[in-house]
Amino acid sequence: MRTYLLPSNNILEFVTKLSETGPVFYPILEDKNVHMVKFNKDKDFSPVFTKIRSVENIKHFLFPSRDVVAKFPKDRHWKSEQQFLFGIKSCDLRGIDVYDRVFLNWDPVDPIYRQRRENTTIISMDCPEPEDCCFCTLVGLNPYGESVCDINCTPLSSGLFFEIFTERGQEIIDRMPTIFKEVSKDEQKERDRIRKQAIKMLGKINDRSFKVDLSTRVENAAREVKREARSECVECHACLHVCPTCYCFLLSDHKKGKDIERVRTWDACYYAAYARVGGGANPHYDITERFWNRFLCKFSYFNQYEGFYACSGCGRCYRGCSGKIDIREILWKL
Amino acid sequence: METVNPSRESDKMSEQSQSERFSKEVNPYYPVPAKIKKIIVETSNITTFILGGMPINFEAGQFAELTVPGIGEAPFTPSSSPYADDLEFTIMKVGRVTSALFDLREGDMVGVRGPFGKPYPLKEFKGREVFLVGGGVGFAPLRSLFLSLVHNIKDYKKIYVRYGARTPDDIVYKELIPKWQKSGKVDILLTVDVGDDSWKGSVGVVTVILDEIPVDTNDSPAIVCGPPLMMKFVTQRLVEAGFKHSNIFLSMEKNMSCGVGKCNHCRVGKFYVCKDGPVLTWQDVKGIEDPFL
Repeated sequence: MRTYLLPSNNILEFVTKLSETGPVFYPILEDKNVHMVKFNKDKDFSPVFTKIRSVENIKHFLFPSRDVVAKFPKDRHWKSEQQFLFGIKSCDLRGIDVYDRVFLNWDPVDPIYRQRRENTTIISMDCPEPEDCCFCTLVGLNPYGESVCDINCTPLSSGLFFEIFTERGQEIIDRMPTIFKEVSKDEQKERDRIRKQAIKMLGKINDRSFKVDLSTRVENAAREVKREARSECVECHACLHVCPTCYCFLLSDHKKGKDIERVRTWDACYYAAYARVGGGANPHYDITERFWNRFLCKFSYFNQYEGFYACSGCGRCYRGCSGKIDIREILWKL
Repeated sequence: METVNPSRESDKMSEQSQSERFSKEVNPYYPVPAKIKKIIVETSNITTFILGGMPINFEAGQFAELTVPGIGEAPFTPSSSPYADDLEFTIMKVGRVTSALFDLREGDMVGVRGPFGKPYPLKEFKGREVFLVGGGVGFAPLRSLFLSLVHNIKDYKKIYVRYGARTPDDIVYKELIPKWQKSGKVDILLTVDVGDDSWKGSVGVVTVILDEIPVDTNDSPAIVCGPPLMMKFVTQRLVEAGFKHSNIFLSMEKNMSCGVGKCNHCRVGKFYVCKDGPVLTWQDVKGIEDPFL
């Protein structure tokens, strides 16, 4: 894997050059929260690379909350523009990994997702300052990009340590070789130290692992356990809408001018009508079962399909929950 | 955003072929346009829609999403033979999409996506007695299977059909049943929950005609389709009668949106009914709490 150093002074030039081929989205800090914003060369550029993932999940960039997926009578060819996600975290890479499996690997390929995905360059960033909500290490991840991304960066005192994962990532470096430097041994050591420190912090935040047979425990959970787990749930569904791995959606048809558009919107399995059929029968009529469906989906079924949990450990569900339900507490108790 | 009156808007759908509409790749969310050739009223709330030509090629057991332009789509299993020239759906009016469908006229356009799901393993049925149990409009998908079996009748030992409806008026395909019954290798028994003066057959729910099961239950496949409660009790009866759990085929149609195993709506346990089903065996689903709901 090739590595480079982008000195701090050259970051603006790097982003400016990237933005010549498509919009670049990067993290900023606003009111103590991280948000992804679009780079504008005429405005202030104050990225924040050391904080945790953005408040909003980043699935909007590949799988928008509202998306026209077909038009009739005549369909259209799907076009999407090049875009760059610069500074997203390892937890959000897990989300993209889930979407890649569902929309690209599972037959049939979703052509709309594929277009966007092929036009999206992912430059992820280490997460050196995990917070109380973070638990990526409990779901099999490290707090830095190891796959899915084209490039992963580690913020060092002297700049950004680039590690290249794909040809597309290498092409970016090759387009602007003069702004990069070789990585020194000291910088390599600094990166290792930052990563070790981040993992250590996560170990302190989460002092227990999930059981190795978590999937089976989720499947076999007793009714009382499920009922207690959802006792504080007020059915606001925030946990599902902020989740970077949830992929449920609903298709609906709407008139737009002379055409009819088939629109895909995010859906959530906590909605009472989610599984109701035309005749009125509803397999998920009970909130306790709906609540637990989320756990089954993420920690049992998806694990059976793909061999990893459809959970990124980002903690957005905990931060967004009206009832302050901590998914870790529920899973630890199983 | 406004919805569209299907009877006006559907006329505008072009009869664009599947290959024309997308040269590079198929969009799985786009429906193939099809014209309603004929409408047959089966009962007070069940109607058969015959779509001209064969907009999709399917095998018995597979289903399709039917679009009412501007209203939306819903999943249905064809009731016609896969070998027929036209595609038929026998549909009960129950919800938003089916209500809009019932407002359409002959000549109107609809959209069809599919086929989706896995077909019945007909090769495995060869040389065996095949036992079909249907309830209400649940007989529609079984008709497609029945016609497939009859098409190659020499391949099977005998075909048994057990069908229950609420009243004699609710029996679908009334005019076809006597014709089917005349074939020597077909045995059909009907029952109704409530009879009338003209009804000479059994009265009671479908399990009353399952007291005697004249097939080799150790070897024969049983295929069940009907309302959830009927499916539950029929399955119990078939298990009692000695059918192998892997030989009890259950039509598990659920709420579906995408039809291609992505949107998650139809999942029963770990199974995507749209991809792994829509027909699953009792062996597959018996560990799931109330799979028929």
